[in-house]
Amino acid sequence: MAEGLSRRRLLQAGTLAAAGLGAGALAGCAPSGASRTTLQLWSAYAPAPQQDPNIVAQSDWFLDRLAAWNAANDRQIEAVYIPNYADPTNTRIATAFASGTGPDIFLISPGDFLRYYNGGALVDLAPYMTQEAIDDYFPQALATRRDGDGIYGLPMEQEPLAVFYNIPAFEEAGLSEGDIPTTWEDLLELGRRLTGGQQAGMVFETTPGYYQNFTFYPWIWQGGGDVIDAETQVPDFTSDAAVAALELFGEGVRSGASPRTLPANGDVVGAFTNGYAAMWQSGIWQVEAMRQNAPDHPYGVFPLPAPAGGEPTTVLGGWAWCVNSKGSDPEAAARFTVEVMGSMSAESINAGADWNGRFKGNIPARQSVLDAIGDDDIFADPILQKFRDEIYPTGRGEPRYPPVIYKAVSNALQAVQLAGADAAQQAEQAQRAIESYLETYDGGDLL
Amino acid sequence: MRGERRWTRRNVALLVVGVILGLGTIFPLVWMVVGAFKTAAEVNSSSLIPSEITFDNFRYVFTQVPFLRYMLNSLFVAGLVTVLALWFHSMAAYALARLRFPGRETVFLLIFSTLLVSLPVILIPTFVVIRTLGLVDSYAGLVIPAIFNAFGIFLLRQFYISLPGELEEAALVDGAGYWRIYRSIILPLSRPIMAALAVFFFLANWNSFVWPLTITSNPDLRVVQVGIATFQQQYVSDWNYVLAAATVAALPTLLMFFFFQKQIVESIKTAGFK
Amino acid sequence: MSTSTPVLARTAGRTQRSAHLAQQAKRERRAAWLFLLPDSLGLLVFVGLPMVLAIALGFFRVDGFGNIDFIGGANYVRMVGDPQFWSSVRITLIYLVTLVPLLFAVGLALALLVQQKFPFVGAVRSALFVPYAISLVVVAMVWQFMLGDRVGIVNQVLSWFGVEGTSFLGQPSLALATLVFVTLWFQMGYYMVIFLAGLQDIPGEYYEAARIDGAGAWQRFRAITFPLLRPTSFFVLITSTVAVITGGLDLVFIMTKGGPAGATSLLIYYIYEQAFLFGELGYAAAIGSTLIAVLLIWSGLMFLVTKGGRFDDGR
Repeated sequence: MAEGLSRRRLLQAGTLAAAGLGAGALAGCAPSGASRTTLQLWSAYAPAPQQDPNIVAQSDWFLDRLAAWNAANDRQIEAVYIPNYADPTNTRIATAFASGTGPDIFLISPGDFLRYYNGGALVDLAPYMTQEAIDDYFPQALATRRDGDGIYGLPMEQEPLAVFYNIPAFEEAGLSEGDIPTTWEDLLELGRRLTGGQQAGMVFETTPGYYQNFTFYPWIWQGGGDVIDAETQVPDFTSDAAVAALELFGEGVRSGASPRTLPANGDVVGAFTNGYAAMWQSGIWQVEAMRQNAPDHPYGVFPLPAPAGGEPTTVLGGWAWCVNSKGSDPEAAARFTVEVMGSMSAESINAGADWNGRFKGNIPARQSVLDAIGDDDIFADPILQKFRDEIYPTGRGEPRYPPVIYKAVSNALQAVQLAGADAAQQAEQAQRAIESYLETYDGGDLL
Repeated sequence: MRGERRWTRRNVALLVVGVILGLGTIFPLVWMVVGAFKTAAEVNSSSLIPSEITFDNFRYVFTQVPFLRYMLNSLFVAGLVTVLALWFHSMAAYALARLRFPGRETVFLLIFSTLLVSLPVILIPTFVVIRTLGLVDSYAGLVIPAIFNAFGIFLLRQFYISLPGELEEAALVDGAGYWRIYRSIILPLSRPIMAALAVFFFLANWNSFVWPLTITSNPDLRVVQVGIATFQQQYVSDWNYVLAAATVAALPTLLMFFFFQKQIVESIKTAGFK
Repeated sequence: MSTSTPVLARTAGRTQRSAHLAQQAKRERRAAWLFLLPDSLGLLVFVGLPMVLAIALGFFRVDGFGNIDFIGGANYVRMVGDPQFWSSVRITLIYLVTLVPLLFAVGLALALLVQQKFPFVGAVRSALFVPYAISLVVVAMVWQFMLGDRVGIVNQVLSWFGVEGTSFLGQPSLALATLVFVTLWFQMGYYMVIFLAGLQDIPGEYYEAARIDGAGAWQRFRAITFPLLRPTSFFVLITSTVAVITGGLDLVFIMTKGGPAGATSLLIYYIYEQAFLFGELGYAAAIGSTLIAVLLIWSGLMFLVTKGGRFDDGR
């Protein structure tokens, strides 16, 4: 065990420490990535430390892509597994970028996009792509990764939200498929009815964070509202639609239809199998989670109900591959990323089909991949087909608002949902915060 | 009071109070351990006795990830930090408490003031320093910054000040050097407080999470608290595995405490923190 | 400060003697600096330097991607006008003024209990200390697990008594109190042990004498125990204050993420959020520097009150 730290190493470190004292104070914050010869791809997937077959399959998918590249190119790329990668407050990633040692290729979600883009950290991948490949992407999947003609990230999947319902809970209450709610009133009414004992009726996300906002946006859009009008770039949070959406979350808790914290600490599978929740707003990834962990448990999904006079709408999440502009060799990293994610080659399309259709169970971001999967593999599942055919077409990409806007919305949502605050007043307050931020905002469009 | 009558009414009353408080205190840990023996289907249920006791979670923890390696890493890092910290701190405290030199009060005040700096505030600058020294992703990067902590210096100094002044006079007259006084007089006297501090240092470093997460990505360097995080996947958290991993991670410190509780408490008492 | 004084020169007239003394003093000085070297160098490089960097960072706009602009005191101006900052300060103060006295009182009470001799006292002592041996990550997870709405074991037990629908972590009015309770649970054993050490130092004859004078338990506590515990009390107050302000991050991080509705957004969590979620490294550094400055003033005051950190009442 001691090989890592001999006494000499310690002494050496001590001497270095003394020397480091004199070194320039902020020098470390300047970019200085060009030291690594092997490029790094950071993710929560590969190489996975677990031996679980499904996790290994996902991990191997990444490793196979790298092996193919490494066999054909001088510039080698290695995969680095980062624990807690999906947590936006992961100190490993933030610290690495802040000190100029960020990964060469990495995965980010739309919520984080503008922070990286406005910081000049992302490489434009469009010059490496053919027009055919760009057109192959679904416009809404690519929109939140673009600025003008530039493409700063290639999504590997799209993840729509819906409401999952627990069939045993419905049956116990004497309900059937015909009772599935189609309006907000129905949804809350049913939530109240199904609440009791250990069971929560209708679970909305409660933990403050990017994810909660993500689950909240479609309810605004359904009434024709928005946080920021995409055309004019003017905040629109005081609209009736936004206030009504805040009210929906507030009324859910107030009326007892929705819990104040997540049952089973957020584990939908555990909550359904134990009867702790009847309905839960969540994403397409739960289909695979159910298949892995409770394959025999009956459940269903239905689209997010719309308010009276509104349009059924959902939101599409999903991770995208990005290339660090301050990495060791951004050009090679970009070529690799496009080769895997955004080329019209059979390898690229098949890789996308494997990822979405076999290992992950997501809606692909590209038409060719969607066609390649068809109804094969896990898309033979009628619930995934329902997601694809019925729910996904009503989707809109997850907004890429910068942190200040996220926080303003989050504060309003939390206050209305959990502290019983007045929705109109909170919306007004958030609107003012966003307005004053936008006065000096200078960066990519707020979509 | 003399122990000849153990079961007096007073003793029984004290025992009842003590047992209630003690059981209440360890209940969450019992709950954790019980959860680790439950199946995935049952882990969220509230029954104290699992309907089906399973060892699968532990098997998963040890066979699915190199958890033993994580534990050895933690052991190595926490152990080395503890030893080096005790050594350096006792040297510094000896100088601050028992040697006269100009600027002593100032140095002590400066050291004391670093007690108030907490990691989140200086995390990024510290990372920059470590990176400048080329210690990212190395045992040295895990160990060295964790050594330096004013708390230990502070406590040891308090302890050394309270030792009688005549201690080293005879040795000095005999012409002994300061190093020898430190080695053969001060260190042996420090045994109880060092033992107590060793426990605190080891616990703190065994349990640290944010720094190892920030400074390493090499899987060979992964420590146990970061290892637990790998059980929480992107969206699904398998609580039965998480609880099993948590139990395993807590086991060494719990065992250490149960076997040595008498010695630990005694040494803390003898150390006379003040 | 009465520390070891090598033999004083009674016969100062003799030059040889004083030359020897000067030599001796020089030797002592050099030894002192050598003894101090490893720790002071380490503290300088791994705490002092980062702290200076953090303070400097507070005057810049830093986006976390290598872009830095000097903006003078703008971060501090922003801080003063930031309602979230003030809300975090308020929450931290509430947390502080409830938790520090609680830790003090409970730690002392438990120490007085397990100081008694009764059967199995060793086991009770262990049980009370044991939560301190668990990592905060695990502590937070286990409590989150137990405090779940409806299903968590605590709510189940409450429901036997007809109390239903309590959401310990989902009600803004309860969440902070819950955090205080969990922190108390896991730290009380540590302070119990510290107090135990202090009680050990009080000579038993004092109590014998008081007993002969007919003093009751409470009178003995007030007249002997409490005053003679003052050194330990000071130590506990200082260390728990620092621990409470700068700690607490992991609990908030895992259990509440600052929610519900900002009720548990402690200052240290707000700093963390600004730095790592928002990438506002300069602003986070400014708040962090302010926090350090406040703590410095506080401990400076304590330092004066306790006569140079030697909490022994000028003995």
